[in-house]
Amino acid sequence: MAQAKPVVYDLRPHRRSLAQRIWAYKWTYLLGVPGMTLMILFNYLPMGSLLMAFEDYDPWRGLFASPFVGFKHFVRLFGDDKFYQMLGNTLTISLLSLLTFPAPIILALLLNEVRSSAFKKTIQTTVYLPHFLSWTIVVSLTFFLLSSEQGLVNKIIIAAGGEKRSFLFDKSIIYFIIVVQSVWKGVGWGSIVYLAAIAGIDQGLYEAAKIDGASKFQSIIHITFPCILPTVAVMLILKMGSIISVDFEQVLLMTNALVKEKLDVFEVYIYENGVKSGSTQFSYTTAIGMFKSVISTMLVLITNRIVSSNGMKGII
Amino acid sequence: MSVLNPVQKRDARHLGMRASENIYQSIVCFILALIAATMVLPFLYVIVISFTDSSVYESGTFYMWPKKWSVEAYSLILRGQGFLNALKATAFITFVGTPINVCANAGLAYMLSKDALPGRKMINRLVMFTMLFGAGMIPNFINMRNLGLINSWFANILPSACGAWTVMVMKSFFSELPRDIEEAAEIDGCGTIRMFVQIVLPLSLAMLATFTLFAFVSYWNCYFSAIIYLTDSNKMPLQVYLSKIVLSTDISEVVDMDNDLKNKVPQEVMRMACLVVVVLPILCIYPFMQKYFAKGVMVGAVKG
Repeated sequence: MAQAKPVVYDLRPHRRSLAQRIWAYKWTYLLGVPGMTLMILFNYLPMGSLLMAFEDYDPWRGLFASPFVGFKHFVRLFGDDKFYQMLGNTLTISLLSLLTFPAPIILALLLNEVRSSAFKKTIQTTVYLPHFLSWTIVVSLTFFLLSSEQGLVNKIIIAAGGEKRSFLFDKSIIYFIIVVQSVWKGVGWGSIVYLAAIAGIDQGLYEAAKIDGASKFQSIIHITFPCILPTVAVMLILKMGSIISVDFEQVLLMTNALVKEKLDVFEVYIYENGVKSGSTQFSYTTAIGMFKSVISTMLVLITNRIVSSNGMKGII
Repeated sequence: MSVLNPVQKRDARHLGMRASENIYQSIVCFILALIAATMVLPFLYVIVISFTDSSVYESGTFYMWPKKWSVEAYSLILRGQGFLNALKATAFITFVGTPINVCANAGLAYMLSKDALPGRKMINRLVMFTMLFGAGMIPNFINMRNLGLINSWFANILPSACGAWTVMVMKSFFSELPRDIEEAAEIDGCGTIRMFVQIVLPLSLAMLATFTLFAFVSYWNCYFSAIIYLTDSNKMPLQVYLSKIVLSTDISEVVDMDNDLKNKVPQEVMRMACLVVVVLPILCIYPFMQKYFAKGVMVGAVKG
């Protein structure tokens, strides 16, 4: 073109039709297709099978021809003593791990006090590591330490002239072991978010407090803690959202005949009665799973609402 | 803290204060060292025992440094057919799964980072919804059966290959890339796919490396999806193999070793050698991952 076009600004919205705009992005859509396909196949397609929870599923007749029974399985669930035992176990484990909620905060506060950055880095590297280990590894380490025949703790007890104990089969301490495992695995990783919050605090506050004669401890109580309180609140609320879930792999690996009644939780029951023993229990176990999913979705939505109504950024 | 501010300079003049500061520092460091020790010592114990000669181990005395070293437990574990089968499974899941995972996540995230894309909001909501609600174990199992993936390693790879959390973090990273580079490339006639591969991805290498390592770790650690979707015991990955070895009272069948080698090495030593072998790759790539924690990626991820 020999003559340059005059510049004309077109301020009308939707200058091009929807089809044209979609076509203009065709290659961008193509990039997203693999991910979207995976999500549809493995996140949305299974939701159709939730229909099973409302019928007596018969694999020969299939999902749509099986007799519809309404809320029969949910009624059975709420009348089942096993249900209340599982709910009780789940809530007990969750509430006990809630008690360890301050652990990552304390770790972050301690790390923040360290002057030597090389030492701080070494400690951080070490405490983040367990987050990346599988539950199989964590449970195996527990066995090597606590098993009654070969465990290190029992070897030490015997060497000291004591009586050996079978920690792993002891109903009274199994929750304690579970909670300690979770803290060991998660405390370092959990401290990252608090370290970030502490790093964002205005250093001028500390200098002002120092001039006013505040001690180190007073600075932590009156500056650090109030400044990270919003983060603490968000993390606490998020944790409340997952109160009905436990770590399936951990509980499954730690279960044995003697502590089973303490560690019977929904996921383990669904796995043992649904996946392992064939299709007769599919409808009932689907109903249990659906009950759990609905409750945890509601908890997340409620907690998210609380977070956002307090002026903080929610997750959704 | 190389540069002291005036307040600290004044404080430093008070020797008494410096002494109390030193005591304070040593107490804090001591507590932290104790916490770190609980994470390191169990591994040290397991590694030392796994290299201990059986005669020393059976004598019952415990040393933090064995009198006699031996690699017999390792040679037994590594030669067993059970281990080789499990290693094959884990290698397939990890090395096929990781690229699929990163490509699917990055592609979807890049698509969602385009603000003007028609339907972006709806797709975004659908992705977020998977974070909120899951169908549950049995529907997933039936779905896997309908797709014909039972007893296939792809059943361990594909369900976790595209996750809402990863997509969201990658998306916020892509949205923060400077627009002018892409605009300049577009004016020069660069197509979308080429722009993604030759400009956007090279600019995001640190982020991609982080998520590659995350995917690697999660596939290497795959246990739950294996015991649910795999039926053939010869196809089970390493984590299942390790759990069998640790939980069973007689490991000779799990290890699948020659009969004449049985009882040559104490079972507990073999168990520990197996744990070391399974955890070793994670320990090897961990320093590379660690590099990225302190940087923006992780903190940005936590902040959402």
